[in-house]
Amino acid sequence: MPTEVIMPKVDMDMATGKITVWHAREGADVVKSAPLFDIETDKAAMEVESPATGTLRHLAPIGTEIAIGAPVAWIYTQGEVVSDIPATPDVAAPRPTVPASEAAVVETPDTARAGTGPRMTPAARRLAREGGLDPQTLKGTGPRERIQAADVAAVLAPRTPRPPGTGIPLVMIHGFAGDAQTWAAVEAHLPAGQTVITLELPGHGSAPRQPVQDFAQLAALMRREFDALDIGSAHLVGHSLGGAIALALADTRPRRVASVTLLCPAGLGPDLNGPAVRGIAGASKPESLGPWLKTLVADPDVITPNFVQVAAAQRRDPQMRAGQIELVDVLFPDDTQSFDLVAALHRLSCPVRLIWGKRDQIIPWRHALRAPGRAALHLFDNAGHLPQFEVAEEIAGLLQDLR
Amino acid sequence: MNAPSQVAVRQLSYAEAIREAMDLALASDPRVVLMGEDIGVYGGAFQVTGDLVHKYGEDRVMDTPISELGGAGVAVGAALTGLRPIFEFQFSDFATLAMEQIVNQAAKLRYMLGGSVSVPLVMRFPAGSGTGAAAQHSQSLDAWLGHVPGLKVVQPTTPEDAKGLLLAAIDDPDPVMIFEHKLLYKMKGPVPEGHYTTPIGAAALRRKGSDLSIVATSIMVHKALSAAEQLSAEGIEADIIDLRSIRPIDRETVLASVRKTGRLLCVYEGVKTLGIGAEVSAMVAESDAFDYLDAPIIRLGGAECPIPYNPELEKAAVPQVPDILRAARDLVGVRV
Repeated sequence: MPTEVIMPKVDMDMATGKITVWHAREGADVVKSAPLFDIETDKAAMEVESPATGTLRHLAPIGTEIAIGAPVAWIYTQGEVVSDIPATPDVAAPRPTVPASEAAVVETPDTARAGTGPRMTPAARRLAREGGLDPQTLKGTGPRERIQAADVAAVLAPRTPRPPGTGIPLVMIHGFAGDAQTWAAVEAHLPAGQTVITLELPGHGSAPRQPVQDFAQLAALMRREFDALDIGSAHLVGHSLGGAIALALADTRPRRVASVTLLCPAGLGPDLNGPAVRGIAGASKPESLGPWLKTLVADPDVITPNFVQVAAAQRRDPQMRAGQIELVDVLFPDDTQSFDLVAALHRLSCPVRLIWGKRDQIIPWRHALRAPGRAALHLFDNAGHLPQFEVAEEIAGLLQDLR
Repeated sequence: MNAPSQVAVRQLSYAEAIREAMDLALASDPRVVLMGEDIGVYGGAFQVTGDLVHKYGEDRVMDTPISELGGAGVAVGAALTGLRPIFEFQFSDFATLAMEQIVNQAAKLRYMLGGSVSVPLVMRFPAGSGTGAAAQHSQSLDAWLGHVPGLKVVQPTTPEDAKGLLLAAIDDPDPVMIFEHKLLYKMKGPVPEGHYTTPIGAAALRRKGSDLSIVATSIMVHKALSAAEQLSAEGIEADIIDLRSIRPIDRETVLASVRKTGRLLCVYEGVKTLGIGAEVSAMVAESDAFDYLDAPIIRLGGAECPIPYNPELEKAAVPQVPDILRAARDLVGVRV
């Protein structure tokens, strides 16, 4: 039997849609999931994919208002007899007459109707109906393979426009007193198609200057940021405090995290170079910032006077410095890492790897030894606490291995 | 976040808040009278009326004989003939003795007499388990009375609402049944000064979250709130709706929450079967919010048995925080 192509419902109050472009001609062979036609509503324009592979027949005309759910074309598999379905579907009649020769055997898929087809939740059924998806094509990941809203959303998601990029995006979280710029060197070595999303901690970079009471609240704030991202799953990459946040995210959103990469992460032991952390947080001029910056790296010569000038300029905002000093008191009282994520690290079931500079003077690399055996450990002799800066190319190489 | 600099609000216990409401009503309206067993010099079975008898005298704070049916009959008659009685039961379980007056008289007289009279009566019922008072003194019978058109049924969960709902009940022209959980009497909370009312029929959203909706009544609201703290640490954020009133019921607040979260957990102390959770679940299933459900509804209610005397069994007979945690994780599909 031919597959019916219907006008999908792409927004809540849409009653009809208009085809603006057919990407294939009448009689052309089309492949499932390839772009088939574009539709336009008063709110949006979008591309609709082919629901099946075969020969395209009986195309609806461009520019006519067509009711939701009404057929706009039929796709015949090889060898199927092309019958005389009306070439121009009637707007008022939602369903064309089934070819007489097939009437006895044809079962036109009744999109997302309750009581038939696979087990799915009402929410999934509604989303499938609105998205014009045939429930038979969906796979459920809920209890006893029940199809849930997330399963439908996962199929619908690739149809919505997305920032350019391929594969699973990298979501990168910088460390204490850093900002999204910390990843610039690594990003420069990543392939052009790789989607990179950088999150900034509250009170850092251009994020709101929001006070934080404890680690749990910080993690909750970042979880909200992560939840708001228009992506399915992500490879999480976190540096230092950002590593601890990445762990907390992976622990609470396991279904959305494909892997975790931790660079010199916090949260795996109590030790911390408190004076350096406080020194950086409080430094208001290049003269006081420079010496502390040199403790971050294996080779102090990479911290040039120019580098220090730029770093100090980025820390000019006194409100930011005050907020970060407060954050030190909250997260690292008495120069101690007050939060422990070793248990969370052991709970993770996704691939995990730790990257550490052996000459890290801020958090001892030996904290990495608390990771479970499944986790990979990459140690760099010639790096300190900033491997993303000191061995950027190697880090970028490791990130490209992620699948 | 910074602790908001707030004007110090005075803290009262739930029992004190109820007493203050009655005190205000007695002082401002000569039609208001209190009735009940041992509410005078003894101060009430749970010391809620306290010393009001000394302030207003025995004509306005009346001890009634040990006959709930008789006392309730007098209260209904008083309400019919111009007073505004507040009738206290020692235990809500004894409502069964007064059912004729509550269900057949108070709830129906305005209807049967064509609106020519009304019954502005308030009844207060100390309810619920947890005090070791066993099968005949620990029930949650709110849903029984919630089944009767003509009554209004409320269950305050905070001192502020205990005062506000009682003052609203006194102002109401029809019979209002107030179920007060015995374990809440000592709970302290901020209570505004003076006269104010909490609307009957409006639920309160006690906490905001996007992963599931917990609709709870009475003390279960507090258990749900402590469960929510723990769930939040696990990354599960719950909307918590305190129904406050089960007749009338705030349909829209519940439906809006379910449309947002797609998951519903009902928690109540009354027996699970044919209880308030059944009503809330059906309400959702019958509405457009059905299309937003992304998991089967879960109800947590009292066990299908009399409340046991043994303290461990007593606890096991009604939902506790770990039960709520388990149900919420199941709903959201998280293995722990």
